[in-house]
Amino acid sequence: MTTASHPDPRLLDPKLAKFNPLRRILVHDDFNTGTHGWIELIGNHDQHGDLDTVDAHMSDFRPPQLSSCNFFDVGTHGAMSGTYALKVATRPVTGHTGVAIRRLTMAGRGRVQFETYFAYKAEAASAENGAATAAGGGRWDANNHPSEQQFGALTVATDICDGVRYHNVVRYQNTDPDHEVQHRWMYPTVPEPTPREHFEGKVRLPRTADFTAPDPADWRQFGERQDLCFNEVPTKVNWHYLRWVIDTGTRSNVELQVNDVVHDMSDVPVPPYDEEYGSLQNLLNFYVSVRTHTDVRNFLYLDSVLISVDW
Amino acid sequence: MTMRQSFTAVIERNATLTGEFTTEPYEAAWAREARWFVRVLDASGRAPRMLVRTQISPDGLHWCDLDRGAEQSVDPDEGPLHSWPAEGFGGWLRLRGTVVDEPAEATGDTASSLKVLIYLALKS
Repeated sequence: MTTASHPDPRLLDPKLAKFNPLRRILVHDDFNTGTHGWIELIGNHDQHGDLDTVDAHMSDFRPPQLSSCNFFDVGTHGAMSGTYALKVATRPVTGHTGVAIRRLTMAGRGRVQFETYFAYKAEAASAENGAATAAGGGRWDANNHPSEQQFGALTVATDICDGVRYHNVVRYQNTDPDHEVQHRWMYPTVPEPTPREHFEGKVRLPRTADFTAPDPADWRQFGERQDLCFNEVPTKVNWHYLRWVIDTGTRSNVELQVNDVVHDMSDVPVPPYDEEYGSLQNLLNFYVSVRTHTDVRNFLYLDSVLISVDW
Repeated sequence: MTMRQSFTAVIERNATLTGEFTTEPYEAAWAREARWFVRVLDASGRAPRMLVRTQISPDGLHWCDLDRGAEQSVDPDEGPLHSWPAEGFGGWLRLRGTVVDEPAEATGDTASSLKVLIYLALKS
């Protein structure tokens, strides 16, 4: 009689078994038990707490919501596990971006992996929101739903500083600003404009500017086109697996896996800031964002998040 | 005892409201308790104030007043911070309101405005 070898104990826990973590788990956020530190991003304000000093384009990124994925036609959809997902929502304003951020610091350098199960949706139509006739919508053919073209982009990104400040960024461009289907992964070639640059008079962006990189010319594609699962209507939720690996030892990207496709990111550059920033030593922030290209709310749902490292 | 969950959402921050308005929908099905806070930062007009009702929705798309509940008056003359609870709200919450001033009710003038923060404090 032989004794079965013990499996990886993580595989005995269904909440962890759906992930593929590196050696040390820093963060496991199950949104059935709260928001776990995911919070609205805001730009910086002055010493008086005067919110007028916050950059306009970083002043209204919207609070995250614990969502039961509730819809007008089926009621509560629920999350992949349990009832609640974290929802990030835009306003119904072209160019508006919703952003939730998770703030950590680094106790070492090396590989860092962000994993999540996500879904993305444009808002279903109502008489009040006018989505059925908003820009980007088209003719319904009982398969493809016009609302799919009303979803702009979702982004997973970082804000890291080890003395040098830099952002690793991946964006799924569902449509371009003209509502044309793209289904491409993108990265910015410039660092994100900061409140300090605004303070120094270098940039001044409008309220609906793309805060990650405002000029569309500063974005590049990587990897092959990847069609995801919107599942025809704005009220069906299917969860996608996303695994993204970066290396904070080399300030580089490694790879992005979304469902069954692995995109090699080793040649995808990570633009650093030229200038130094104070009070950010060992910064390790992750953010997720959702951006609408039409006057229809866009939603990004996260079932759960796991961040692991090899240090 | 299991620790209760709480979350405070800043539904509007440093927003200047005029005329009729609704706040963005907010999902709160997990919460047993909800309480609105409105903090007035600035006001313009002739004795401006905000008349507001809590609204609820089954889907975030279609809305009605919470149990035909009372209209709240947010009057800066009565202090900068105002609050009221919302109970039995189901899954979604928002505010519908109007910024008015004294002559506006007679003339339809909507020049008055309130600069506010609106918080939704939730607890399981």
